[in-house]
Amino acid sequence: MSEQSRKTIEVRGFLHLDAVFRKKGTIPLIMGLEDPITGIELAAKLEITLDEIEVIFVNGFVQELDYMIYPGDRIAFLPPGCPGPYRIALGFYGKNKSNESNFKIKKKE
Amino acid sequence: MNKFIRVDMTTLNVTTDEVPVKYVGLGGRALTSNFVADEVKPTCHALGKNNKIIFAPGLLSGTTAPNSGRISVGAKSPLTGTIKESNSGGSFSQKMAKLGIKALVIEGMPAGDKFYIVKIDINGVTIEEAPAEILGGCGNYKAIEVLSAKYGQKVGIALAGPAGENRLPSANISFKDPDGNIRSAGRGGLGAVLGSKKVKALVIDETGAGAVPIADPEKFKAAAKVFAKALLDHPVSGQGLAAYGTDVLVNILNEAGGLPANNFTAGRIEHNDCISGETLNATITERGGDGKVSHGCHPGCVIRCSQWYPDKQGKYITSGFEYETIWGLGADAGIKDLDDIAYIDRAMDDLGIDSIETAVAIATAMEGGLLPWGDGKAVLEAVNQIYEPTPLGRILASGTSVVGKVCGLFRVPVVKDQGIPAYDPRPVKGIGLTYATTPMGADHTAGYCISGNILKVGANIDPLKKDGQIEYARAMQIGTAAVDSTGMCLFVYFGIADNPGGYQALIDMINAQYGIALTAVDVDKLGESVLKVERAFNKAAGFTNAHDRLPEFFEYEPCPPHNVVWDFTPEEIDEVYNF
Repeated sequence: MSEQSRKTIEVRGFLHLDAVFRKKGTIPLIMGLEDPITGIELAAKLEITLDEIEVIFVNGFVQELDYMIYPGDRIAFLPPGCPGPYRIALGFYGKNKSNESNFKIKKKE
Repeated sequence: MNKFIRVDMTTLNVTTDEVPVKYVGLGGRALTSNFVADEVKPTCHALGKNNKIIFAPGLLSGTTAPNSGRISVGAKSPLTGTIKESNSGGSFSQKMAKLGIKALVIEGMPAGDKFYIVKIDINGVTIEEAPAEILGGCGNYKAIEVLSAKYGQKVGIALAGPAGENRLPSANISFKDPDGNIRSAGRGGLGAVLGSKKVKALVIDETGAGAVPIADPEKFKAAAKVFAKALLDHPVSGQGLAAYGTDVLVNILNEAGGLPANNFTAGRIEHNDCISGETLNATITERGGDGKVSHGCHPGCVIRCSQWYPDKQGKYITSGFEYETIWGLGADAGIKDLDDIAYIDRAMDDLGIDSIETAVAIATAMEGGLLPWGDGKAVLEAVNQIYEPTPLGRILASGTSVVGKVCGLFRVPVVKDQGIPAYDPRPVKGIGLTYATTPMGADHTAGYCISGNILKVGANIDPLKKDGQIEYARAMQIGTAAVDSTGMCLFVYFGIADNPGGYQALIDMINAQYGIALTAVDVDKLGESVLKVERAFNKAAGFTNAHDRLPEFFEYEPCPPHNVVWDFTPEEIDEVYNF
C-alpha cells in the first residue's frame, strides 16, 4: 500500500450514483480518510440518502451499510436495481436486512 | 390452444390434430422438453432426420398478462448433444396462441437442397420454396424485410440465418420483434436444426383470429393487474432494468471480482467504465436519434430492458444489447470500444449466431492466437467470415469447445460443450453449481428464478463459501423450469421472488385462463418434473454425473482479485439433483 493510499479511499457509485459521482470528480473518487468510518457516515459525507443504497462493496465484498471502512479501502455504493439471482448469489440478502432500502416492495399510491 | 401441428419435411405434408391429452396442461419449456423426451431418439444425431424441433407458446401467451410473450423452442442440441430449450421474445408466441396453436413440430428432412418457408395462418399451414434472395449468405435484417414485404408487415417470423443454413453449432433461431428487428432463441444451436430440415423461415399471420379464450375474464383481469403492479413497483423490474438494461451488471460483477476477463484468467478489469450499463445509458441519451434507452422485446412487456443503440450520427446499430454479449466481447475478449462491440453484436444477430457462445469462442480464439486480443475491428472482420462461411468463420461459429480443440488449449470455459457465460464460478460459487448441473449445458438462465421464500435459501450466502450453495442452485433451477413453462419472461422473477402477492397473481392468471386450481406447490412440482424429464433424456443420450463438472482449470487457477478456486467435490455437485 502506498503512503497516499494509507490516507485515502477509492469510491465508486453504480446505477444513478455513477452520474452523481461523476459530477463530483473523476471516477473513482479519491477521498482523504485518516480514521475509520462506517458506510453510513461515508454516505452522509457524499450526500447520499440511505434509501439510495441497497448494499455497499468493500474491497470486492458485499457488506452492510454500517460496515467499518478503513484508509486504503475500495468502496462502491449500490442502489436498489441489481438484477438477476446475483443479488442472492453475491450475498445481498444477508446484508441488506436492516437497510432503509432493503428491497421490500415500496408502497406506491 | 387446441391445435397440435406437425410439419413433415420428408414428405412436405402437414397434419393438424387435437392436442394429445398428456400435453394439455403444459406450455413453454414443460411442453417442449416433454415432447422431445417422448419423441426424439436420445442417441440420434442432432442434425439427422430423427431429430425434431418444436415451437410452443407459454401457458399465458396471447393474453393480456404482462411479459407473457416468450416462445420456447426445443430439440436435441447439436452444440451440446443434450436436450435443449431456448426461448425468445418477439411476437411469434402471441400469434401462435391467438391462432389456437399449442405446438408446431418440424420433423423429417427433405432429400434435395431446396430451402422452404413454412407459412402459418388462419387457414392452416403451407410449405413454399424460399425466395432465392434470402438464401446463401443473406443476413437476417434483409431477410426480414423481404419476408415482411412478401407476406405482410405485421407477420411474425422465425428464421435460420446464414449460420443456420450452414448447420453451424452456434446457430440460433432469430425472431422478428415488433419493430422488425431481431430477438433470438440463442443458445444450443437450434438454428442449425432448423437449417438441417431445410426450413429457412416460419412466417405466421394471425389475421382473422379471435382473442385467446379466458375461462374467468374478471378473475384474470384482477390477477393481471396485481401482477403488473408487482413488476412495476419493484426497483429492478420497474426502474433499474429499464434505465440501464442488463448491462448494469458489468460494474457490479466487476466490483465483486466475478467478471471473467481475458478468457477467464481474471475476475476484474480496469476498463469497466468503457462498457458499463451506466455508460451505455449515457451514450444512448447523448447521441439521441434512433437511440432508445428502454424498449420492449414483445407486445405487453412492461419491464422494457431492451434498448436501441445508435452510432455517433444517431443511426440504429443494434438492439437487445445484453450484458452477456457486452461482457464476452468487452471483458473476456478485452474490446474496449462499445461501438465496436455494438457492430459485432449486430453482425451476430444478422448471421443468426448465439452472441454468448460466439463471444466466449472469440476470447478463446484470442488465447489460441487466431485473433489479436482486444481488437474489435479484427473480430468484426472474422465474424463477417461466417456469412460465406470461410474455414475461420466455420470454426468460430462452431463454438468455444471446438475453438479450444483447434487451438490446443486446456483453458476452455465450457460445460457439456456450451460456453460459460458472464459470471465466474470461482468467486460466485452458486452460479457454478448451476453451470455444472443444468441439463442445458453451461447456462446462467437455467438458474435464474425462484418461486418460494427466497430467504430460506438466500439469507446467508457468502459467494466465496460453499454453505447454502447446493440448496440455492437446486431451488433456482426448479423455479426457473417452472417459470419457463409458463412462457413468462424470466425477469418476472423480481416481482414474484420478493413479493409473494406477485407469485400468487401469476398462478391466479393461469387458473383464471384455464378454469383450473393450481397451487404454488403444483407449480414447484412442475419445475421439478421438467428437470427430471430433461435429465432422463440426457442420461439416455449417454450423459452421466461425470459430465456435470466444470473444466479442470477452475480447480487450480485462482481467480484474482479474490484468488479463489472452484472447490466443490463431485459428491457435493451431485447433491444438487438429489430431489
